Order: sequence, then C-alpha cells, then structure tokens
Amino acid sequence: MSGKMRILTSVAAIAILAAGLGVVIIRGPGPLDFAGGPKVALADYRAGKPTGVPAKLEKASLVERGEYLAKAADCMVCHTKPGEKDYSGGLAFKLPFGTLYSTNITADKDTGIGNYTDQDFLNAVQHGKRRDGARLYPAMPYTSYTFMTDDDVLAVKAYLFSLPAVRARAPDNTLSFPFNQRWAMIAWSAVFNPDTRYMPDTSKSPEWNRGAYLAEALAHCGECHTPRNLGFALDNRRKFAGAITAGWRAFNISSDKATGLGNWSDADLISYLSLGHAPGHGSASGPMGEAVDHSFSQFAPEDISSIVAYLRSVPPQPSPDLPATTAPVAPASHKEGFTADARGKKVFASACASCHGWSGESPVSPMATLTGTWAVNDPAATNVAQIVISGTKRHTPDGALSMPAFGNAYTDDEIAAVANYVTARFGTKGSKLTAKDVAELREQTAE
Amino acid sequence: MHMATTLTINGETKSFDAPPEMPLLWVLRDILGMTGTKFGCGIAQCGACTVHVDGKAVRSCVLPVSAVANRTVTTIEHVGSTPAGAKVQKAWLEAEVIQCGYCQSGQIMAAAALLASTPNPDDSDIDAAMAGNICRCGTYVRIREAIKHAANGQS
Repeated sequence: MSGKMRILTSVAAIAILAAGLGVVIIRGPGPLDFAGGPKVALADYRAGKPTGVPAKLEKASLVERGEYLAKAADCMVCHTKPGEKDYSGGLAFKLPFGTLYSTNITADKDTGIGNYTDQDFLNAVQHGKRRDGARLYPAMPYTSYTFMTDDDVLAVKAYLFSLPAVRARAPDNTLSFPFNQRWAMIAWSAVFNPDTRYMPDTSKSPEWNRGAYLAEALAHCGECHTPRNLGFALDNRRKFAGAITAGWRAFNISSDKATGLGNWSDADLISYLSLGHAPGHGSASGPMGEAVDHSFSQFAPEDISSIVAYLRSVPPQPSPDLPATTAPVAPASHKEGFTADARGKKVFASACASCHGWSGESPVSPMATLTGTWAVNDPAATNVAQIVISGTKRHTPDGALSMPAFGNAYTDDEIAAVANYVTARFGTKGSKLTAKDVAELREQTAE
Repeated sequence: MHMATTLTINGETKSFDAPPEMPLLWVLRDILGMTGTKFGCGIAQCGACTVHVDGKAVRSCVLPVSAVANRTVTTIEHVGSTPAGAKVQKAWLEAEVIQCGYCQSGQIMAAAALLASTPNPDDSDIDAAMAGNICRCGTYVRIREAIKHAANGQS
C-alpha cells in the first residue's frame, strides 16, 4: 500500500468511526433503558401478562380484542380526517418541510390495506415497511409499535378488516427535497427503529410492565411528550420532558415535582387520563383531548392504573421555562390583578369572563377553571392561543362541555392580546405573543 | 339516553327527563316552558340566555343540565323577587331602557348579578360585567344609566 493510500484508508476509517459514534450519540438510549433492570423475553416472563387485553376481554373474540388494542394504540385519530369515515385516512400532518397525509387503513383493496397479508401488516406496523416495499415516514409511530407482539398487531388487523372497507385515496404528500426521498428512511429506520418486541423488566412489578407496554408500545406517549433529536427521532435522554407537536405544547410528563407529574396524585392522573380532567390541573384539549376521547377513556381501569404506575417511574426532567409553582387564584374583581393589556382585557370581558370568571375559577364548571393549568402558566401561551383559535370539547359521563372556537371571530392581534392578558392574569408570567406568532400557530394546525 | 333530573329553579323543585348533555337553556324553554330566557347565538357570545347559577351570571346555552344538578338556578321569571333584581327591573322601566327587547332578559340578569356582588359599580365595573351582553339596538347608554340608578336607589 502506498503512503497516499494508507492516509486515505486511515481517513476513511476515522470518518466511518466518527459517523458511527455520531449515530450512537445522536440516537441515545432506548425508551425503556432508564428502568435499568434485567430484561427477559416475553415467553420467559412468568410474573404477569404485560401484553394483550385486560382480563375482562381475555375470552373475547379476536376482533373485540383487536378493537381494544386499536383504541389503545389510538390508530383512529391520525388515520381519520375529521368528517370522513373512520380509518379512511387523509389527515394532513403539517411539517416544516411539507405536508404528509395519513393513509386509508380500511380493508379497501384499491385505496386501503385490503390486500395486506398478516406479514405485510406486521412489516408496516413493526418495521415501517409498506406492502410495495417503500418505507413509511416516522409520522407513523412504528418505532413505538415495534414493541407490540405479533399477536396484538394481528388482532388490530382483524379488527380493521372487520370494519366497512372505504374507498378513499389520500392526497399525495408534498414534501420537499430531500425529505421526499423515501429510500432515505431505510437508513433512518436502521438507526432509530429499535425493531424489537417488548421485553419485560424483571426488577419491576407486573403492573409496571403492563404500564410500560401500554405507554410505549401502544399509547406512544413519547411521540408527543419526548423532545426530538437531530435525526427527528425521540431523544430519550430527555424522556417525557415535553415538546411542541403539531402546534400544541405537550407538557412535561416526567416525574419532575415542579414541572412534571411528580406532584399529581394517583387520583389526579387517573381522572385526567380517563375523563380528560383533573381538579386543579385543567382539562385535556387539542391532541391530548383527542387521545382521551378516542383512546384513554376506553381503557380498562386496571390499565389506566398500570400506566400511572409506569409514569411515576420515569426519571424527573425539569422544564426550565415553566414556573416552579402555578399561580394562585386571581382576584375576584376585574380591577385588581393584572390590567396592563387593555385590549386583551376587553376581549376577555366580552368573550371569556362569563364562563371563566375574573378569578379564573369558573362559575360554570370546574372543567373550565383556568387556575392551576399549565396552559395559562406557560409563558409561551402556545396552548392558550390554540384553544382560543380552535375551541375545545370534553366528553364526560355527565355529557359534553365545550368552548366555542374563536379563530374566525377574532383577529390574530386580538387573540395575541387576550392570550397575553390571560397568561398574565391567571399564570405566573405574561406571554408576549404577537399577531405574527398567532398566524404561525394557526398555520400549524389548519387543516 | 334520557335521565330523570331534578333541579331547583326559582325556588321550586322541578323534575324532568332530559339527556345529561342538554343545555340548560333548552330545558328551560322547551321542557319547562319558561321562555323568558332567550336563545341568541348558542355559543355563549351574546348573553341573551343569561341566568343565575348560585347567584352568578352564566350563559345557559352552553351549560349542560348535568352541570347544574344540586345548584340553584334563577331565571328572568323570578329575578324580580331578589332585592337586586327588583331594583334593576324598576330602574329599567324608569329609564325606558328597552327597545326591541330581545337581549333584555340577559341584560337584566347580568345587571342583577353585578349589583348583588358590587352594590356600587363604577363605569369599569359595568364594562367588565356587561361586556358579554350585546344589544343590536344599541341601548348601552341607557343600560349604564339604569344600572347606576338602581345602585343609588334613585329612579
């Protein structure tokens, strides 16, 4: 080997090593690595049954079991465009580099997945590979679903195939170069898809293992609540620390006492997941509202408790931009407390005060109480602006309570003013939203 | 799903069958026949449907009836028997506030709730309490005047 060749070879070797190291550093730990205990294959785990359906459905038909699991995996919210038939796809995902559309996963042979064999379906859900061999974009959370057992994935398939086939072709994606190169997802998947089924941690309780399976393999909490790394994959070094997803802030759900769930009681967490509301913590809106309506509210109570047990174990991650404590109740009189934003106050008086009250404690329903919610205590006011724009609706056993959408009634300037007033009056620190910020928030959620 | 519901409305106990998510306004108007409370926008933005729940002014068009179980509801039919309501109604007549009248049940309910909690409101109190009640005839000037008269006990 000539001296020149040797140098080139060394440079190449160093580059490959550096790239490999870079990949490992960017990828970071897996979603369950924090638990740290010894892991065993499911077949060798005897302490409990973390996978499948709850006990009451053990004897149910394959389709019924699949229905429970499909709801637990929340397939419907992404695979249904509002107003269209369930699971017929077409929902737009607005990304910084273009728009992705969810696919039709009904059993229609031309436009849906009617021709999928069991293996085709497993390939898509666990490996991110379409029937024609093309790679899925990770908007489809197959890096989470990959932890599902084959049995559970195929039960979901049986359920989907039991529903009416809908003929509906999703619009073509409008991604820009290089993101429109699907083949690049081969490399992405090789790095970021753990491509392994769930392995119980024997140092943890059976309840924890069930919760881990539900939260990681099915409910895919991290897809919204974990920040992303340079490769747009989940950065589990900051697991559940919160992130902005689809224009909404998914708050910190780590066990951090100040800004996570560390100070929520079990009853609070159970209530929030199953009803979308916990007294003093506010109500689920936006994407979490949908997750409650279509997924968590359908969970068996023991499964909700398992998720709570699991969430408790996730190491604390502080959110430094949030206050250490949420603001107390505001004064009952409009004259006291924050009054600097005259325009915001005017909008609040005419559109908001009749339901939310001047103190933030709603005279109508605890579900409309602003005091104590992260939304009004977030100095970025992201979710306050989004709820004002698109409204919110909570379904409960006692019926629905809703807030109308004000996005068409008020200008960006007025929405910014009222969001700034609301965060200053009911939160710890007023936001500084401008009309431009509100326009951008609208853009991220507009259908 | 219909459920037997019992509410205390204007001091009387009323029982009826209604779905739990039915807005209180529909129960009042369509089931109980109390049509003094008006339907305006249906999204809590005009104030025509204002009633009192535990003495506070709320919009009945967005309030599911299940949310007011065990709470006290007062409507325009009965507000004249409360001290603040009586003063407001008297002042309203003296000042000839009403033009077409459609919003006025809600205006009177909002004004009565204001006077019950703030017996001597200034202009900013009136603005803060009444901003959510709109009037297409533009009687706002007379509404403000009447509220001040009611507060002073003048007429």
